[in-house]
Amino acid sequence: MAGEPWLAGFLTVVVGVLALWPMLRLVQEAIAPGGVPGFGVAADVLSSRSTWNATLNSLDAAIWSALLSLVLGTAFALLVGATDVRGRTLLVFGFVLPLLIPPPITALAWTQLFGPGSALLGALGIAPPPGSPNPIYSRGGIILLLGLQHAPLVFLTVRAALRQLPGELVETATVFGASAGQTLRRIVLPLLAPAMIAGTALAFVSAIGNFGIAAFVGIPASHTLLPVLIYQRLASFGPQVIAEIAVLSVVIGLIALVGVVLQSWLSRRFDVASLEGAGKPYRVGLGGWRVPVEVVAWSAVLLLLVLPLVALVATSLVPAYGVRLTPATASFANYVEVLVRQDVTRRAFFNSTLLSVGAAVALMAIALPLAYLIAWRRNPLARALRPIVELPYALPGVVLAVACILVFLRPLPLLGVSIYGTLAIIFVAYLARFLTLALTPVLAGFRQIDRAVDEAAQVDGAGLVMRLRRIVGPLMAAPAAAGALLVFMTAYNELTVSALLWSSGTETLGVVVFNLEDGGYTVLAAAVAVLCLVAIIAVIGSLQWLDHRFRLGVLPWSG
Amino acid sequence: MVSKLRLVAAATATFLAAAPALAASGKLVLYTSQPNADAQATVDAFAAAHPDVDVEWVRDGTTKIMAKLRAELAAGAPQPDVLLIADTVTMEGLKQEDLLLAHPDAPTDAYDPALFDKDGHYFSTKLITTGIVYNDTAPMQPTSWNDLTSEAAKGQVAMPSPLTSGAAAIHMETLTSDPAFGWDYYEALAANDIQPQGGNGGVFRAVASGEKLYGVVVDFLPIREKAAGSPVTFVFPEEGVSAVTEPVAILSSAANPEAAKAFVDFLLSPEGQELAAEQGYLAAHPAIDPPPGFPLRDAITLMAFDPAAALANDAANKERFVEIFGQ
Repeated sequence: MAGEPWLAGFLTVVVGVLALWPMLRLVQEAIAPGGVPGFGVAADVLSSRSTWNATLNSLDAAIWSALLSLVLGTAFALLVGATDVRGRTLLVFGFVLPLLIPPPITALAWTQLFGPGSALLGALGIAPPPGSPNPIYSRGGIILLLGLQHAPLVFLTVRAALRQLPGELVETATVFGASAGQTLRRIVLPLLAPAMIAGTALAFVSAIGNFGIAAFVGIPASHTLLPVLIYQRLASFGPQVIAEIAVLSVVIGLIALVGVVLQSWLSRRFDVASLEGAGKPYRVGLGGWRVPVEVVAWSAVLLLLVLPLVALVATSLVPAYGVRLTPATASFANYVEVLVRQDVTRRAFFNSTLLSVGAAVALMAIALPLAYLIAWRRNPLARALRPIVELPYALPGVVLAVACILVFLRPLPLLGVSIYGTLAIIFVAYLARFLTLALTPVLAGFRQIDRAVDEAAQVDGAGLVMRLRRIVGPLMAAPAAAGALLVFMTAYNELTVSALLWSSGTETLGVVVFNLEDGGYTVLAAAVAVLCLVAIIAVIGSLQWLDHRFRLGVLPWSG
Repeated sequence: MVSKLRLVAAATATFLAAAPALAASGKLVLYTSQPNADAQATVDAFAAAHPDVDVEWVRDGTTKIMAKLRAELAAGAPQPDVLLIADTVTMEGLKQEDLLLAHPDAPTDAYDPALFDKDGHYFSTKLITTGIVYNDTAPMQPTSWNDLTSEAAKGQVAMPSPLTSGAAAIHMETLTSDPAFGWDYYEALAANDIQPQGGNGGVFRAVASGEKLYGVVVDFLPIREKAAGSPVTFVFPEEGVSAVTEPVAILSSAANPEAAKAFVDFLLSPEGQELAAEQGYLAAHPAIDPPPGFPLRDAITLMAFDPAAALANDAANKERFVEIFGQ
């Protein structure tokens, strides 16, 4: 027991500095602009039409896209988790990949698939006539892309629950004459409900804060979502309107909070943790439907994943935007430009790798002991930190970035140097933002295992450090690796925070693609995006090897 | 003897004048709104001329880069030595706040006095005009600003927002202060289903892809991309064009003013101006040939523009814009 208060205290300081301090600074700015208390600014912002438009647009996009994620994710989880469909590993890979592709690249790829300027459609001779709008630049386009981007979140949660499903229950129902459809509706789906809700809430919260799709698709569509409104206000009027931005971020924070609270309340109501997973998995034979279902599943993967990426590659090969792609016009000139002439691209690959690997490692070191204190030790201080950890992730990255500018621009108290303009400020922001991603799988891991193991060791006289090393470490290796992976991939794909915090020499990949696209150099942006994809695939390939070699079981499609 | 003395004196003067530039070294931080590739080329050329200076540069749109600078100023830690941004209005504002360092010795002799600040606080480096671009498949070939308010262009015009783009803000100030257009013109644009938004990059993309048939955009994007094969044509309308002049200035807080002066002098030198033309811009220096695809300098009419008035009207203009377009 001796070390626990120290550990809890240390973690409280870490979480406080990372997550709470910047957020409090922002709230202070919202209710006391410039240090003078008053609700004048808040009243102005809340009575402004643009605030309400953006809020309603954000709610609309987040709710519909989360529902789309729910339908797609659950259907796919049932398909690969509960039927005898073939080629499961590859299907899961194809379905989960959108989660690993940076949202800006997803948006860029989809915009290249439609409209009169599509290099791919043009090459095939089926591009719509000039003067027709690009259908992706619309409310529907935003919902579609957000829904696809976050469907894997629902899929992964539901499939995990599916594996825990008590097979006896399903077997019993079948013995009593229930049809496959009845079993699904009456038994399987109700049991999966908590996971479905949890996954949907995660998709909702992610969609509310998504900046990449909201910016790449929403700005040309004149469909402004809250994160973009905040970004534009800051870009147009500068930090003079920081108080206004703080109020907007409180609005978006409250929306996200509703999602989080709803999720935890519903999850508790439908708690299935007591139902132990059975040895026999739930499986339904598709019979004669197997081939048609497989055709539909593969077509979906082809349409939703492969086609946009092909369109992106096509755009990266044309010499200028609007040029028809033919064997004569196709070239790698854009790749040469971004790789040889612009060292900013190579630097961005290095920066993004460094930031995401560093964040993954550092966050594991924080998340493991924190989850241990929360789940097994029920430490009140640590438990109080849980919602704080959630905050920087639930809030849009733009808000966190602004908060970090406010807090970290001035020189650090003891060191006397400012981390502003260095990779360090992006790194600190990443730690704050992605701590919850690292924590969630580890917490789930702790909850799956009876804490009696730990208590028994304690009774036997094992100290805190000993228990962390001998019990927590080995038992939690797999969830921790999963959390690290989640952090790595999200950080590698990150645009929102770095869009406001980058400086010369600290560009991230997201920033490079955003700047090129923003400057009208779509063909160059496409080339960088394709290079990003190649890098992501290379990372996944090496993870695949590691996963296989050490039987980690952390890759979503390996199990 | 006298002539020899003069020569020596001239040589000494040249040496002394050149001395600060030669002595320039250390780190130079540049904040620029130039597109990535151009910023890289500018920095490379300067680095070749001044190998002892280590240039770090940050690139973003003018309003965004200014937001960044403002945040730094608010915290008392401005990072850049030199600013190379789109417009003189922003520079005028910085000058009035005493944030710029005067550099009266800059080589401005060849330049039109309208193109640099009389006290030597900021210097125009090029002319980036805003005109009309059309997709080559469009049924109409616009020649006048009024063609954009015609029925043929209804809902088919992409325009940058003055809230995002410095060039668009100057364009709006230029047209609305011209009695032939005024705010009625912007009302007519709104009535013609035209919704200005984003920056010039987005406008070019929309017109090049054919999602919109016409656009109001800065000259270099369509002229350069047309050369690479993009199906677009840029027009200098008959009434004239507005222009941003990409001024360069040294911050009074510059950590390395010597290197900063060397950078300014380099941009204004014939060599630096040739570079602007090579990059596809109209140089501010009158003796430099325009790049391929541009008409001769004499053939381009610049509409009247007053940076000080623009600065005074700025907030009111943007409010009026928001009112008209409901943004």
